[in-house]
Amino acid sequence: MDPAEPPGGPASTDRPDEARPTDGAPSRRTHRTRLSEGLGLRARVTVTFAIGAFLLSTIMAGITYFTARQSYLSERQGADQRQAFANASLIQNALRSPGTQVNQLIESVDTLPGSRSVLHRGDQWFATSISVGQSALPLELRAMVLTGTPASQFISVGGSPQLAIGVPLPAVGASYFEVFSLDELENTLRTLAITLAAAALVTTLAGAAVGRWASGRALRPLAGVTDAAVAIAGGDLDTRVEAGDDSDLQELASAFNRMTANVQERIEREARFTSDVSHELRSPLTTLTATVGVLEAHRGELSPRAQSALDLLDGDLHRFTRMVDDLLEISRFDAGSAELSLDEVDPGELVRRAVAASAPVDPDGQRVAVSFPVEIGPGVDGLRLRVDKRRFERVMTNLVENANLYAGGVTRVIVEGDSVGPGGARRTDGKRFIRVIVEDHGPGVPPAERQHLFERFYRGSRSGQRESSDGTGLGLSLVAEHVRLHGGTVLVTNAPGGGSRFIIELPLVDAENDWGQG
Amino acid sequence: MSRILVVEDDERIRSSMRLALEDEGYEVEDVPTGEEAVDRFNDDPFELALIDLMLPGMDGFETCRTLRRTSTVPIIMVTARSDTHDVVAGLEAGADDYVTKPFVAKELAARIRALLRRSRTDDAPESVITFGDVEIEPDAGVVRRGGSEVHCTRTEFRLLCELADHPGKVLSREHLLEKVWGYDYFGDGRLVDVHVRRLRTKVEPDPANPRFILTVRGMGYKLAV
Repeated sequence: MDPAEPPGGPASTDRPDEARPTDGAPSRRTHRTRLSEGLGLRARVTVTFAIGAFLLSTIMAGITYFTARQSYLSERQGADQRQAFANASLIQNALRSPGTQVNQLIESVDTLPGSRSVLHRGDQWFATSISVGQSALPLELRAMVLTGTPASQFISVGGSPQLAIGVPLPAVGASYFEVFSLDELENTLRTLAITLAAAALVTTLAGAAVGRWASGRALRPLAGVTDAAVAIAGGDLDTRVEAGDDSDLQELASAFNRMTANVQERIEREARFTSDVSHELRSPLTTLTATVGVLEAHRGELSPRAQSALDLLDGDLHRFTRMVDDLLEISRFDAGSAELSLDEVDPGELVRRAVAASAPVDPDGQRVAVSFPVEIGPGVDGLRLRVDKRRFERVMTNLVENANLYAGGVTRVIVEGDSVGPGGARRTDGKRFIRVIVEDHGPGVPPAERQHLFERFYRGSRSGQRESSDGTGLGLSLVAEHVRLHGGTVLVTNAPGGGSRFIIELPLVDAENDWGQG
Repeated sequence: MSRILVVEDDERIRSSMRLALEDEGYEVEDVPTGEEAVDRFNDDPFELALIDLMLPGMDGFETCRTLRRTSTVPIIMVTARSDTHDVVAGLEAGADDYVTKPFVAKELAARIRALLRRSRTDDAPESVITFGDVEIEPDAGVVRRGGSEVHCTRTEFRLLCELADHPGKVLSREHLLEKVWGYDYFGDGRLVDVHVRRLRTKVEPDPANPRFILTVRGMGYKLAV
């Protein structure tokens, strides 16, 4: 439920503008062109950009990583080999001098931190560290070196990568092995991988962002078209779109504008037709009204039967005239040519006068006094309302007539200031309104009918009633149109004591606004 | 018995208006075109003219303007449209009031009676009223500006007197409609607006920047003293 509505139940949603979608022709076959499948256009562009950025950045990161890794490893292998050979020649020299303790010798070899030496001599193994014995050396490497070929191999010991280099020392009948830890290199490579992965992620996100921005930019003209379409749907048929210098958009713009112009022309043609018909009907109606008036003036000269016939003629002539007037009014609303002739007035006086003017005229040409009270609320004094008095008078007359025809007459009319909004809640939108409430004696309007009540020629369940033939069927729809032209709203709910309650809200004069004469 | 000229091209409407107005006690002459209306009027002036706006040849606006050049006769225009433009254009052409087709004969008769009233409102003082270089003699029905007589229609004169009777006081459009035209609250305020404009061209030194007949925003009009 609209939060601006009174919380009082189903009645609160019965606004005429909400009833409008059902105004048009009943169900009809429409042809729809599907513009898009699945995801939204922007989402799709964004996803495409993100995937593209992801693939590109991942490939670049992968190439960078593997190239760097290769280069690091070969560099490291070269350096380690140089050191292994240097150590090997050192040991060879030492072993040549007699009396050298192999154990001490192996300890004394200057190794890098994290690298360990293993010496094989005379079927004996000597190692700097217990953790790296001969068992750590792969068999193939051992075999190659022991047969006299220097070799190197990447191995993994306890999950950490290492490089094992073996140098045969045939001159002293020994083989020197050195195992280098690659943890540091591994750390460097891991850092590189993480950095590259982060860069790829950032690039992907940036791609998505660029995609979103670019699609937004590309769709901006579409937003312009949407705005125009909304304006046109809202009744502003003079709206057109401008393609500017963009040749891609010119086709869309011209097609859109052509469509709008066609729609506008058709609507205007229809409205003009209604207007022309109403005008043409006025000439014979003028003659009829004047001659019936003459007959009324000579009523006494007529037989009772002729008098009855004259009464029927007079009644329906009056109704016919009203219908032509109402149709003309409707055609102006449809053509968008209805204009307000605004006066600034005291709301209380306006309502009192309008109610008085809604009363029927007796045979002497005097207005009959109305039988219901007009209650002016305490907050109304001093308020000013800018209103088209003629239209407001039509609104009140139509509501009073509606009550007389279908609901046994009006019980009371209330004018309230803006201290309370719909449902008694204080208004929060800062706009100040006056409310005019018309309650009647009737059974109320069933909730299901309320939204249709302001439609043209709608009679609903009242169609069976005898009195319904007296109305034009346009009264309440005109009430809604007049009120809307003033920027106000009308809705129907149930009166506290039974019967229906029509609530009109009209915006009050903003003190800052200039006063115009419409 | 007041003589009324009805200018209407539709023969049936013309005949029915004649019947209805004769019933109301007026002597009615009817013509189908604006040209004939001007000729007939020049031969023998009438006390009031009812002119349809949609006429073949010389239209109602032009007929109205032509009559106004030589006469201050009350003119009611008859229009099928109450659209802003037609009504305002008709009033600017010099009409005093308008009725919309189809009209009820009794209401038309009431409009005619209001325009034919000879005098202005009863509570007016006897003396001559002056403001600026304008001098009003209410009883003689004469307005002079700088010593020379200004030709006002009866409606313009009544409007000027109503404003001049309440110098410095703001009069609402509803008040003026009631006092000058005899309309109720729902009379058409454009009658007042257009007549005030017309009056300004006659009594104001610079009608675009009025010094005497002032518009009071949101309230109405007043005569500055």
